[in-house]
Amino acid sequence: MSKTVKYSTAGLATLAAVAVSVPAHAEEYGILMKTLANPFWGAMGEGVEEGAKNAGVEYYLQAVESDQAAESQLNVCNTMLERKPVAMITAAINSTNLLPCLKKAQDQGIKVVDLDGNLDPEILAAESIDITFSIGSDNVKAGAQGAEFMVSQLGADAQGPVLVIEGLSGNITGQKRATGFADALKELAPGLEIVASLPGDWDRGKAANITNDILTRNPDLKGIFAANDGMALGAMESVFAAGKGDDVIIIGVDGNSDAVKSIKSGRLTASVAQLPYLVGKQALENVKMAVEGNDVEKQVIVPTLVLTQEVMEAGSEPMLEFVK
Amino acid sequence: MTPTHASSTPGLWSRLQEKSIEQLHIRLESIVVLLGLITLMAILSPYFFSVSNFMNILLATSTIGVLAIAATFVLSSGGLDLSLGSVLGLSGVVGATFAVNLGMPTPVAVLATIGAGALAGLVNGFVITRGFVPAFIVTLGMLGIARGLALVISDGRVIYGLPEWMVFLGQGRPFGVPMPVIIFIVVAIIMHIVLAYTRYGRHTLSIGDNENAARTAGINVEFHRLTLYTLSGGLAGLAGLLFATRINSGDPTAGITYELTAITAAIIGGTNLFGGRGSILGTMIGALIMGVLQNGLNLLAVQSYYQQMAIGGVLVLAVFIDQYQQRQETKV
Amino acid sequence: MSLLSLTGIKKSFGAVSVLHGVDLNVDAGEVVGLIGDNGAGKSTLMKIVTGIYQADEGSITLNDESVLDLTPGARRARGIEMIYQDLALAKQQDVASNIFLGREPVRNILGVKIVDRGRMKQEAQVMIDRLGAKLPSITRPVGSFSGGQQQSVAIARALTFDPKIVIMDEPTAALAVREVQSVLDLIRQLKSQGISVILISHRLNDVLSVTDRIVVLRQGTAAANLKTSDTSMSEIVSAIVGGGDVAEAAAHEARG
Repeated sequence: MSKTVKYSTAGLATLAAVAVSVPAHAEEYGILMKTLANPFWGAMGEGVEEGAKNAGVEYYLQAVESDQAAESQLNVCNTMLERKPVAMITAAINSTNLLPCLKKAQDQGIKVVDLDGNLDPEILAAESIDITFSIGSDNVKAGAQGAEFMVSQLGADAQGPVLVIEGLSGNITGQKRATGFADALKELAPGLEIVASLPGDWDRGKAANITNDILTRNPDLKGIFAANDGMALGAMESVFAAGKGDDVIIIGVDGNSDAVKSIKSGRLTASVAQLPYLVGKQALENVKMAVEGNDVEKQVIVPTLVLTQEVMEAGSEPMLEFVK
Repeated sequence: MTPTHASSTPGLWSRLQEKSIEQLHIRLESIVVLLGLITLMAILSPYFFSVSNFMNILLATSTIGVLAIAATFVLSSGGLDLSLGSVLGLSGVVGATFAVNLGMPTPVAVLATIGAGALAGLVNGFVITRGFVPAFIVTLGMLGIARGLALVISDGRVIYGLPEWMVFLGQGRPFGVPMPVIIFIVVAIIMHIVLAYTRYGRHTLSIGDNENAARTAGINVEFHRLTLYTLSGGLAGLAGLLFATRINSGDPTAGITYELTAITAAIIGGTNLFGGRGSILGTMIGALIMGVLQNGLNLLAVQSYYQQMAIGGVLVLAVFIDQYQQRQETKV
Repeated sequence: MSLLSLTGIKKSFGAVSVLHGVDLNVDAGEVVGLIGDNGAGKSTLMKIVTGIYQADEGSITLNDESVLDLTPGARRARGIEMIYQDLALAKQQDVASNIFLGREPVRNILGVKIVDRGRMKQEAQVMIDRLGAKLPSITRPVGSFSGGQQQSVAIARALTFDPKIVIMDEPTAALAVREVQSVLDLIRQLKSQGISVILISHRLNDVLSVTDRIVVLRQGTAAANLKTSDTSMSEIVSAIVGGGDVAEAAAHEARG
C-alpha cells in the first residue's frame, strides 16, 4: 500500500503545478458569521445572501462550529483574506477576537463591516481600525422596549417582583439588553422590583432552573425578561409547570421561529424581535454602495419590533415580513 | 546492518522507513499524507499555494500545536490531561490580569501566564501521584475548576488592552514571520529533542509502555509523572499566552474543547493513546495535517460542519492505518 | 565453597507460615532447579533472596558476606539478578532501550545530555552476541519478537549488570516448543561464563535437561536436594507430591 501512496503523491504534485494557473474570481465579498447552527445567525446569513443575489455580487460565506470558537473564527478570517475580497462583512464572536485580521484587512484596503454591532468603538479606536460601518439592532433599546411592553400590560403603578435572565456572563449583547430593560423599568414603573438578575448562559434548561428557584422564593412574581427567546421559552416552561401561566408576563428577545409559534399559541407573552434577515440584507446593500464609492452611514440601526399575539393576528405591521 | 539481521533484503521504502523511525521518530506515511493533502489543496484552490497562506496555516496551528506537545508528553507516558483547554483559558486571564489590572511589566506578566498553567499542572500531578486518583478524574475536575476560576478572576469579561511588548508576542512579525509561529517552532524543536533524545524523554515513553518495568529499572515513576503534568500545565500556559497576545486580551472562554483537538493532533501524529509511543515531530505533522485540511476547506468555502466531519474521519483513518501497520510488523 | 548460601530461612505472613526453615546452597557456575507445587514457597523464597521480602529468621550470604541488611538495589549491585516471568520489558521500545532502561549512556552536546544511541546499540549488540541469541533486529520494538527472543533480551539486560547469580522465574512456561531449546541454551551459556542460575520451573523435563542439582520445596521446607545426574523423574515427582499417587503423576510427567 505504501507504494500506491508514493505514486499517487507524485501524480498529485504534477497536477498541482498545472493548477496554480487557475485565475482568481473578480470582485468578491467575504461574509464571516458566528455559527449558522443558531437560527438567529442563520436568518442573518440568509439575509446577506439574499442581498448579495439582489445586488448581483459574488460572495462567499464562512462560519465556525460554535459561537464560542473565538480563535477558530480569527483563523478563518485570516484565511478568507487570501481570496482578496473587496469587503469583509464580519459578525465577530467577541469584541476582540478578530482585531488582528480586521487590521490586516484594513491594510489591504478591504472594507470592513461590523455585522450586528459586536465590535467596541473604543477598542477599535485604540487599535486604529476604521470600519466602514456598523449595522445591527440597538440592544439597549430592545431591552427598553421589553420594559415598555411589560409596563403597558401591568400599569405604571404596578408593584411586585420581576426576574431578569441575562445571557452568557460577560457577553456584551446580553448585558446591553438586560441593562436596557432594567433602566427603563426603573423609570417607567418604579414599583416593579428586579429581585434577581442572573446569567442563563443562553441556555434554555438553565433559564428554566433559575425560574423555578425564583418562583419558590417569590411566588407572586409578576414578570420575567430573558435576554433571548430560548431562555424565555425555558422560563415559560417552568412558569406553566408551576401553574402560573396566566399570572406572569414573559418576554424574550430575538423573535425566532420557536418564540413566534409559542406567542401565536398564547403561551409566551412577547418577544422583542430583532430582524436579523433585514440586518443581513441591508448590510450587503450598504456595503455595495460603499464599494462603489458612495458615502454610507457609520452606524446603521435596524429597528426592533415587539411581537405579541395581538400584533401577529392583526398582521398590519409592515416589518412582519422580515420575521422568519 | 547487524549480523543478526535475519529478514530478506528490504526495499527502498522500508529502509527509508527504518531510518526515519530510528533517527527522527516519525513514520514516513504521515509525511506522505501531509504532502498529499498540500498537493490536493493546491490543485483545488488557487489561493492555497502562497507564502502568506502557509504563514496563516502555521499561525492557526500554533496554539493547538503547543497544546498538542503537552498532550503528546502526557499521553505517551500513559497519562491523560483533559484540563489543557481550560488551563489555557485560565493562564491567559491570569496574564491579562497581571498586565492590565495590576499594571505589572511584561516579563512578570509573561511568567505569571506560564506559571499559572504550570501551577495548575502541578496540582494535577500531585493529586494523581500522591492521592492515587485516576488522571481522567483529576484532570476532568481541573477542567471545571480552571474554567470557573478564569471566569471568577475576569468577572466573566474579556480583559482587553495588553502592553505593547506582550502584544508583540502574539502579533509581531519579525522578518515577516508571526511571533506565535516562531515561538511554536522553537518550542516544538526543543521538546522533540527532549522526548526523543534525552533520558527524561526515553523514561517518559518507558513509563507509558510498562510502568513496572520502569520501576524495576529504578526510575522514580511517581516523581516523573508529577513533572510531566507540571510540564503539560506549563505548556498550556504558554498556549494561553499565545492566544491572549494574539487577540490582545485575556478571554475566560478561550480554549473550550481544545484538549480534544490537541489529543486528536497527537493521535494522528502517531502517539499511542495508551502510552509507550509518541514523538513531537509526529504530532507536529498531525497538527499540520489538521491545519492544512481546515485552511484548505476554508479557502474552498466549505461549511464548518463538513470540516468537523473531515477531521473526525482523518483521526479514525490515521489510527486504522497505524494499527494495520502494527499488525503487519508483528507478523514475524 | 558456596556462592549463595541460605540457612534456616523462615517467613510467615500474619498467621500463615510459608517457609519453615529452608536451607539452599548454590555454587559458582552451578545451575540449580527450584521446583515444587503451587504454594510450596518458591516465589517467597526468591523474593527473600532479592530483598523484596525480609526473612523472619535465617541467614543469607553471598561469597560468605551477609546480604540480609541490604536493599534490593544493593543486592543487585552485589550480583543477585532476577528475571521475572513477565520479563519487565517495555514492549514498544527497541532492544537497546530495554537493556539500558534507567541507565542510558549520555553524551554532552552543547551542554545538553543526549542519549548516546550509537553506544547503546553497540553495547546491546555485544550482549546479544555474547549470549549467542538470534534477534531479527535490535532496532525493532521487542513486542514484535517471539517469547523466546524476548526472554533473551531480558537475559541480555541481566548480563549488563555483571551478575554472579541469575534467578529465572518460569522462563519456558509460555514458549513454543522449538523456542524452549534456545532458552535452555541461553542458560547453558550463562553457566559456561561462570554465572550461577536458579531456575524456577514447572516443566520438569527442562529442569532435568539443564540443571546440575534440583531442590524440591514442599510445604515450606526443602524436601529434597538431588543431584540431577543421579535422579529420575519419578524420584522428583514423589518429592513434590510427597508419596501418594506417585506412579501416575510420574508417568504423566514422563509423557509430558
